Amino acid sequence: MSSFDVLDLPSLFQYQFLQMALVGGMLAAVVSAWIGLFLILRKESMLVDGVAHTAFGGVAVGLLIGIDPMLGAMAVSAAAVLGITYMRRKGLAQSDAAVAVMMAMGFSLGMIVISMANGFNVELFSYLFGSILTIDNTDLTVLIVLAVVIIGFMVFFYKEMLAITFDEDGARLQGIPVQAMTMAFNLLVAVTIALSIKVIGIILVVALMVLPGLTALQLKRSFKTTLIASTIFGVAAAILGIVLSVLFSVSTSGVIVFSAAGIFLFVAAYQRLA
Amino acid sequence: MIKMEPMIEVKGLTVRRGNADAIYNSTFSIEKGDYVGIVGPNGGGKTTLVLAMLGLLPKAEGSIKIMGQEIESFDQWDKVGYVSQFAINFDSQFPLTVRELVGLGRVNRRNMGRFRDKDDWMAVDEALHLMGIYDLANKRIGMLSGGQRQRAFVAKSLVSQPELLVLDEPVTGFDPVTQEKFFMQLANLNQKKGITILIVSHDLAAVFCRMSRVLCVNREVHSSVITEGTVPDEVLKRGYGEHFHFAFHQHQCQGVFIDEQF
Repeated sequence: MSSFDVLDLPSLFQYQFLQMALVGGMLAAVVSAWIGLFLILRKESMLVDGVAHTAFGGVAVGLLIGIDPMLGAMAVSAAAVLGITYMRRKGLAQSDAAVAVMMAMGFSLGMIVISMANGFNVELFSYLFGSILTIDNTDLTVLIVLAVVIIGFMVFFYKEMLAITFDEDGARLQGIPVQAMTMAFNLLVAVTIALSIKVIGIILVVALMVLPGLTALQLKRSFKTTLIASTIFGVAAAILGIVLSVLFSVSTSGVIVFSAAGIFLFVAAYQRLA
Repeated sequence: MIKMEPMIEVKGLTVRRGNADAIYNSTFSIEKGDYVGIVGPNGGGKTTLVLAMLGLLPKAEGSIKIMGQEIESFDQWDKVGYVSQFAINFDSQFPLTVRELVGLGRVNRRNMGRFRDKDDWMAVDEALHLMGIYDLANKRIGMLSGGQRQRAFVAKSLVSQPELLVLDEPVTGFDPVTQEKFFMQLANLNQKKGITILIVSHDLAAVFCRMSRVLCVNREVHSSVITEGTVPDEVLKRGYGEHFHFAFHQHQCQGVFIDEQF
């Protein structure tokens, strides 16, 4: 894609591909920021990286058998989350070891499938590094539906998820079905990862989910303010990343992550110097 | 104080930790409105007893009833408040204000998926006032002192308006004045609100001055009602051993009530 002049910025927003990319990017950023903040506070940030790499196998299988690779990613991510939860609960592996095992299995599956089928390496590349600028109507519809489901769950069960995240035993004693809620949340993590892959790619999805929350935590405010700030930082990084990458014709996912990291560094420095 | 029916009935309770009986064949009951001190040597089974009574540890033998219901089928957990001895050791970076923490006390199975309303937040404000921490409502919990944290957690457990409040070693690390203020607040809750309170404590003087019953735990549980005629040594020897001597006289309690306005 050719680069645009900075002075053309207003006219740039008239392009449909950019409008769709911005809507898709912002939706993924909101969902990732919400889920990501809870993951950081549950000290499970690396679950994202592990499950995202596992999703690589799902994308490859999807391409091989001719179904939407996002669905393949979602199915394999969900299976990975269930596998990790099972291994933890049965004492087969510690949390980080369970993530490592699933990550290795999913990635290996992807490698085997790639070696079996030549011809979709270029397409696979777009899932590894994201391709938000090529998002089409179907992708956007799937993204909107999934985002509504995830945001709906997080809004309705906000207080329950906060109670479980802060004190799991206490929440259990209060009668909250901790096991079922945690399972539902973990499945939403898998779905969020799958829908973020199109935006930012498997390799960098962890950044979109962790950096906004980490930045918001620097503000040292209430949980509600932290959640709102996390959303704003995530959306800002997505918009900045998409617009700058089009203007300067560089990798969109790379600029999104660099924007998120830049915002984090600025906020962290400001909090310490102010 | 009117005591009509038991709040907790324990019969022949045995609880195992590993291969050993942490609590063995113990029978006792706690009546509604009791203010109970749970005392005993370290490793004697106080926390094990509390966890078993709350259904958080499985029992090997015996039965436990809360409010007349067997623990296995008990479904009124919103009427039970519990503060663990580890409650205040949370991640101090967790972004939660005192008001948000206390608000979590209004979360239970019955209101799942429902937004908290004006009544919920009024109950939060009342609990903050009761524990004397209303002015800390918007402060992050990581910024609180140990005593303030403990009061915030008690406020959280009070906000669901429990009939039973269980506190495991809530005054560890408190200076004597803060400790006395804390016990004073609990006594007020017990007397004015009629809440049954169980408190694990090593402060034997506070137990014998303020509370109506003592459970002395050392593998077996010995329950005694505290009256003016109670001789602490006789009660405590059953848990701490025959060599134990606790120099205590009832008149020492007179100096305890340091601040009736608190």
